Amino acid sequence: MLPFADIDAAAVARVLSQVADRTNDLADAYFEALEVIELPPEDRSPGVRVRRETGLAVRLVREGRTWLAGRDGIEPERFGEAVRRVARALPSNPYPHPELGRTRFTEPPEAPEVLEFPSRATRALRERGLDREIAAAVRLTVRRHRRFVRVVGSQVSSGTERESFYSVDTETPWGRHGILLESLDDNAAEILAASLARRAEAQGAESPARGRSICVLGPAAAAVLLHEAVAHALEVDVLARGGHPEAAVGVRMGSELLDVFDDPRSGPEEVRRRADDEGFPTVRRCLLRRGTVEQPIADAAWSRRSDLLVAGGGRRGDRHDAPGPRSTHLELVAGSASSADLFAEGGLYLPEADRGRLDPETGLLTLRFPHGRRIQDGAPAETVGPLVLRGHVSDLLSRVDAVGADVRTGGAGWCAKDGVRMPVWASAPELRLDAVEVGP
Amino acid sequence: MKPVDDLLLDLLDDLAETWREVEVFAKTGRSRTLRLGRALEVSSLRQEEGWAVRAGDDRRSFGYAASGTPRLDVPWPEADGRGLRLPSARPVPEWKPPADLETSLLGENEAAALFDAIARELDTELPGARVVQGQLEDGSSEEQIVSSRETRAVVRRRTASLWIEARGPRRAAGSLSLLLAAREARHFAPSMVARRLADRLAVAERGASPVRDRGEFLLAPAVGVALLRGLADLWIGPGATERIKPLVDRQGRIASRAVTLVDDGRLEGGVLAAPVDGEGQPTRRLALVEAGVYRQPLVAWNEVPSAGRSEMRAVGCRRRASWRDLPTTGPSHLHLVPDPEISVASLLASLSRGYYLLDAAGGLRVEKGFQRFALPVVGFAIDGGRSTGSVSDVWLVGSVKTLLDGILAVARDLTFLPVGPGLVGAPTLLVKGLELRHRP
Repeated sequence: MLPFADIDAAAVARVLSQVADRTNDLADAYFEALEVIELPPEDRSPGVRVRRETGLAVRLVREGRTWLAGRDGIEPERFGEAVRRVARALPSNPYPHPELGRTRFTEPPEAPEVLEFPSRATRALRERGLDREIAAAVRLTVRRHRRFVRVVGSQVSSGTERESFYSVDTETPWGRHGILLESLDDNAAEILAASLARRAEAQGAESPARGRSICVLGPAAAAVLLHEAVAHALEVDVLARGGHPEAAVGVRMGSELLDVFDDPRSGPEEVRRRADDEGFPTVRRCLLRRGTVEQPIADAAWSRRSDLLVAGGGRRGDRHDAPGPRSTHLELVAGSASSADLFAEGGLYLPEADRGRLDPETGLLTLRFPHGRRIQDGAPAETVGPLVLRGHVSDLLSRVDAVGADVRTGGAGWCAKDGVRMPVWASAPELRLDAVEVGP
Repeated sequence: MKPVDDLLLDLLDDLAETWREVEVFAKTGRSRTLRLGRALEVSSLRQEEGWAVRAGDDRRSFGYAASGTPRLDVPWPEADGRGLRLPSARPVPEWKPPADLETSLLGENEAAALFDAIARELDTELPGARVVQGQLEDGSSEEQIVSSRETRAVVRRRTASLWIEARGPRRAAGSLSLLLAAREARHFAPSMVARRLADRLAVAERGASPVRDRGEFLLAPAVGVALLRGLADLWIGPGATERIKPLVDRQGRIASRAVTLVDDGRLEGGVLAAPVDGEGQPTRRLALVEAGVYRQPLVAWNEVPSAGRSEMRAVGCRRRASWRDLPTTGPSHLHLVPDPEISVASLLASLSRGYYLLDAAGGLRVEKGFQRFALPVVGFAIDGGRSTGSVSDVWLVGSVKTLLDGILAVARDLTFLPVGPGLVGAPTLLVKGLELRHRP
C-alpha cells in the first residue's frame, strides 16, 4: 500500500480550514516519504547506505506572506504542533490531531538492480573498448531514489504521488559527472559507457578557439539549454525580478521553430505527476509557442496574484522548504530537420552539456560542454576538448535555425536553484544554433 | 559533557551483538528562517530530528539514516562492499560550553527588523541601492555520538547565517550577494552588512577594467578567503602533501614568514567551536603552515600514512553536514593567523601604488598542478595611499608560489566566511608580485 493512503484527509482539511480563516487564505499540509538506497564505489565504506525520511509541513499563505512549519517524522502530535506554529489567530488553540495512518517504511530496503549495476557498467565500458586501466579507474556511486508525496489542503487534496528513478555519479581521472536514469538495465549501462567513452576520447583534445560558430546540440545538450534558457527564465519568481511576471506573456523570446512545453504528466513513466507538490493538478503548460511566451511556470502563491498565472508548477526540495515554481519535464516539439540538414552547414556538434547557468539579472546564459566534435563533410568528425557557450537568452534562442525530427526522453539532470536541488527531465530532439559565441 | 541518551546506547548494544564496529549518531535541531524575496515573504520554523548508524566488520558494512527518533525495530539493509573501521575513543580536553547556547532563537519580527535595518543602512551608504532578496536563519542543535569503540559525546551548537542579495542604483550593473555566519543572528550588525554591500556595489557600478597592471595589492578578507578556499586541496586531506611538494623549497618553506595557517576546531568564540568532531574525536588547533614553513595537511585519524615513521598528526576534523551525511574531512575554522599589531589603515597607508581588492567576484581558477591561478576581483586603484578610482571585471592572476611568497604582511582584522559545512578566515593581506588582467 502506498504511504499516506489512510490519512484522514477530511479531518486534516477541517483543521486547516480553521487556520485559513480569511477569504483568500491558502492552508495545506504536506506529507512526504523519501528513500535513497546508495551503493558507493568499492573502496568506500559503509558498503551500502539507506536513507529513509518521513516528515510533514503545514503552511499558511496570506497576502503574499507564507508561514511554514516543517517537522521530521509524521505523528498526529507533530502535525498539531506545526498547525499551532502557522496559525495567526488562536495559535494556542488545542487543534484536533487527525489520524495519519501508516507513516513509516516497514519493508526491508532492497534494490538488487543498484547492487548489480557496477558490473553491468564495467561490462559495457569494456565492450566500448575503453582502455582497461581507465575503465578500472572509473568509480561509480549508484542510487535509487523513491519519493512519496501527499498534499491535503483547505481547498485541494491530492492522492499519493510517487516518483522513482536512479542516479549514477561517476568519478574518473578526468573529472566527475552525473546522470539520471529511468532504470538500471543494460541500456542504461550502455548510455553511461557511451558518455564515459566520449569523455575519455576527448582527453587532451584541443578546445575550440574563441569565436562564433554554428553549434548542433544533441538531445541531451538541447535539454540543458532549454532548461536554463526557457524553463528557469519563465519561472515566475525569476520573471518577478524584472517586474510583473504576467507581462512576459505574449513576448517573443526566440525562434519560431521553438514550441516548448512543461508537462509533468508525460515524463518518464516512473516520475509522472498528476498533482504538483502543492496538491494542484499538473497541466501541460505551453511555455513557448512559435517562440512566444504563452504560460510562465507558476505555483499556488503566485497564481493568486494574477489570472494569467496558472498553478500546478509548484515543487518542494523537501518538507522544510517552501514550494516554488519549477519545471518538471520539458518537451521541445520535434521539427522537420534530418541529421543531414542539421550537419549541412558545418560547425560543432555538442552531444552533452555538463552544466548550465542563467544569470537572472543580466540574462546571460553559460553552458559548459565536456567535449564536442567538428562537423566535416556533413558528419561529426574530429573531437574537440571542453568548451563554453555564452550568450544572452533571447539572442541564443533567436539563433535556433533548425530543430531535429527525432525526440529522445531522459534525465536532464539535477537542477539547483536557491540551494534546492531537484531532478528534472526532458524530451528533446537535436537543434542547431547559428553563429553563437563559443570558447575554451 | 552531558551524558548521551539511553536509547542510543540500547541501539548500540543491539547492533553490537552482530557487528564489531558500530556507531550511532543522532541530531535534533530547530531553526527559524525568514526569507525575503520578490514580493513574497516566507517565515518558517523547522524542527529536525534524525539519526544514522554505521555498522560492519572487516569484510562488509552498511549505513542507515532516518528521520525521527532512533528505533530498534528497523529492517536493516544487507551489509555489502568494504569493511568498516571506526576511531577509538580518545581523551577530550576540558571544554567549557559557550554561554550563548541557551539564548532564544530570533523572533519573526526581530528577523524582519534586521532586514529593514540593513535596507535602510544600505540606502544611506549608497542612495538608490536596495536589497533584492535575503535569507536569515537562526538555529540551535544537539548531536550525540556513541560507538562500539567507547565514544560517548554530546555536542551542542548555536549557529546563524545571513544571505543577502542587493542591487545598486544602476540596474544594468546587476546584483551581488553576501553570505555571513555568526553564533546567533543577533550578532549580525546591519551597518557592517550594508557597508560591505555598498562598497561592492559602488565598485562594481563605477569600476574601470585595466587591461594589465602590476603593483602591490591589499587583499580584503573576502579575497583572502576566496584564495584559501580555492587552494583547499593544498591544505586538506592525505593527498595534500604530495600536491604541495612542488611549492615547498629545501628548507621546507612554502610561503613568506608572515604566513601562519591553522585550523582550530576549538577556536574561542568560533561559530563551529566544539570539543569533538563528527566522529567524537577531540578537536584542537593544528598549524598547517607556521611562519611560512609547511608542517602538514589537515588529516583525520584514518588518514595518517601508516608506512614509515610519519610525523603527521591527526586531529578531530571529520565534519557531518547533517544526520543524512557521512563524516568527511574538512576544516572548521581554517584561517591565516592575524597580526594584532597591524591595522588595515597602516597597510593602506604603506601602499604607494597598487590596488585595494575588496572582494572576489567568482571562484578561484587554478591550473592543474597548482602552478598558476586567476581570481575575478573588484576593488580600488590606490596611489599614495588614496583611491584613484574603482576597478571591476578584472582578474588577479599569478603563480601560486608567487602569491604565497609575496605575502608581506597580515593585518589584525580576521574575518570568517562560511565555506561548505566549515568556515574559512583571513585578515587583510599585503601582497606583491601579482598582476591584474582584463582576462584570466
